[in-house]
Amino acid sequence: MSEVIVITSGKGGVGKTTTTANLGVGLAMRGKKVVLVDTDTGLRNLDLLLGLENRIMYDLIDVTEGRVHFKKALVRHKKYESLFLLPTSQVKDKSAVNPEQLVRLCNDLRQEFDYVLIDCPAGIEQGFQTAIAAADWALVVTMPEISAVRDADKIIGELGRADKENIKLVVNRIRPQMVEKGDMLDMDDINDILSIECIGQIPDDEKVVTSTNRGEPVISLDDSQAGQAYRNVVGRICGEDIPFMTFPKESFFQRLRHALGM
Amino acid sequence: MMSEDIVKLKGTKTGLQISFAPGVTFQAIEKNIKRKLESGSGFFMRGTVVEIAPNLLRHADWERLRVLFRRHGIVFRMSKPSVDKPADSLLEEAAKKKKKAREREVEQMVVVDRTLRGGQEIRTESSVLVCGNVNPGAQIIAGGSIDIRGTCRGLVHAGAFGNSKAFIIADRLMPMQIRIANFIARSPDQPETSDKAERASIKDGQIVIEPIER
Repeated sequence: MSEVIVITSGKGGVGKTTTTANLGVGLAMRGKKVVLVDTDTGLRNLDLLLGLENRIMYDLIDVTEGRVHFKKALVRHKKYESLFLLPTSQVKDKSAVNPEQLVRLCNDLRQEFDYVLIDCPAGIEQGFQTAIAAADWALVVTMPEISAVRDADKIIGELGRADKENIKLVVNRIRPQMVEKGDMLDMDDINDILSIECIGQIPDDEKVVTSTNRGEPVISLDDSQAGQAYRNVVGRICGEDIPFMTFPKESFFQRLRHALGM
Repeated sequence: MMSEDIVKLKGTKTGLQISFAPGVTFQAIEKNIKRKLESGSGFFMRGTVVEIAPNLLRHADWERLRVLFRRHGIVFRMSKPSVDKPADSLLEEAAKKKKKAREREVEQMVVVDRTLRGGQEIRTESSVLVCGNVNPGAQIIAGGSIDIRGTCRGLVHAGAFGNSKAFIIADRLMPMQIRIANFIARSPDQPETSDKAERASIKDGQIVIEPIER
């Protein structure tokens, strides 16, 4: 019943952690019991995005090395009762956890939660191999940018080699105006190369930055386009059939307002 | 018992032949192999073929080892059982078989029924048929010709061992580079598109690309 999903990308900075945080909050908003596992040991960020840094007592390494039970390391979200974070260590490095340990941990977490989301580190080295080991399926995050798409392609190949054939795509930070002008890869270009099922198209939105700094994921904001797009992804993960958003063209007045900085 | 003795590896023409000390449990074997693989000593290179004599393991155990090796990018398979033959004809036989196998491989075609993604490589002496795309960053190096039923954006090298009659066909031929035998052509800096399948071959000492019907 419960699902273990790894969120990965290959390239850094495309929004893996942001996506993990938003999907976690989104699933929790629907009443699902969710745990987010940060496997980016040494470069942990997920706790910041959720505003939970000051509540961390134990971390992933303490759990995998058997010092504490995982329940002691879980941090409950202050607003969403059914959302938990399993943070990782900021002082150790990726070699501190191995794939077998994470598989065992995820099997324990499965008993308690509806969704286990694993935030994967960038790269294709050991940290990546560890993060994907336990996953039922993978969510690849990319950006409409040639290097991000190239790395996503590589990651899909690596996932295939590890027998993870169920892979879905989220394209982050789309700028509709640039796509329209032909200055940015559009969805057809991306699908042409990656040819995997796309379940999310997230527009670039300033609110993502401001909400990240506040530690409150953008998905909880009603007036944000990115938030709406993330809510749609959550719906699709839950099996709903939701059409993709269309981005309205900017009217003359909106353009004028933008130009005047209003 | 020394741990080195549990698993024995012997080099063969195709890769490595694995065998086990008599009377060792499968758990010990698996643990030993796992340690070797994870030691990262580079002893097992990705793409290495490890062979095992048939009937040495139970099927379930065999499958476990296969998955373990595969995770490290190593091919694990059963070796062909050798038939007892008089010694003098054995050598001759082997030479003949080797020649035949080589000929067969050259004639044969390697069929890849998936998309080749960035970083993946096909290297063979025979021809290659890809039912899927060849993405940027992927490579095909073939002794014979290459036929791609899809879009080719990667690097393709046909006739890599000197066959200048080899050719490359793709539904959409837009690779980074085309190499045939010892000729190289790179893609134009301004990409041009064609709706037709195209064929690249060597004519008058250079690589030419022409549309074809199929």
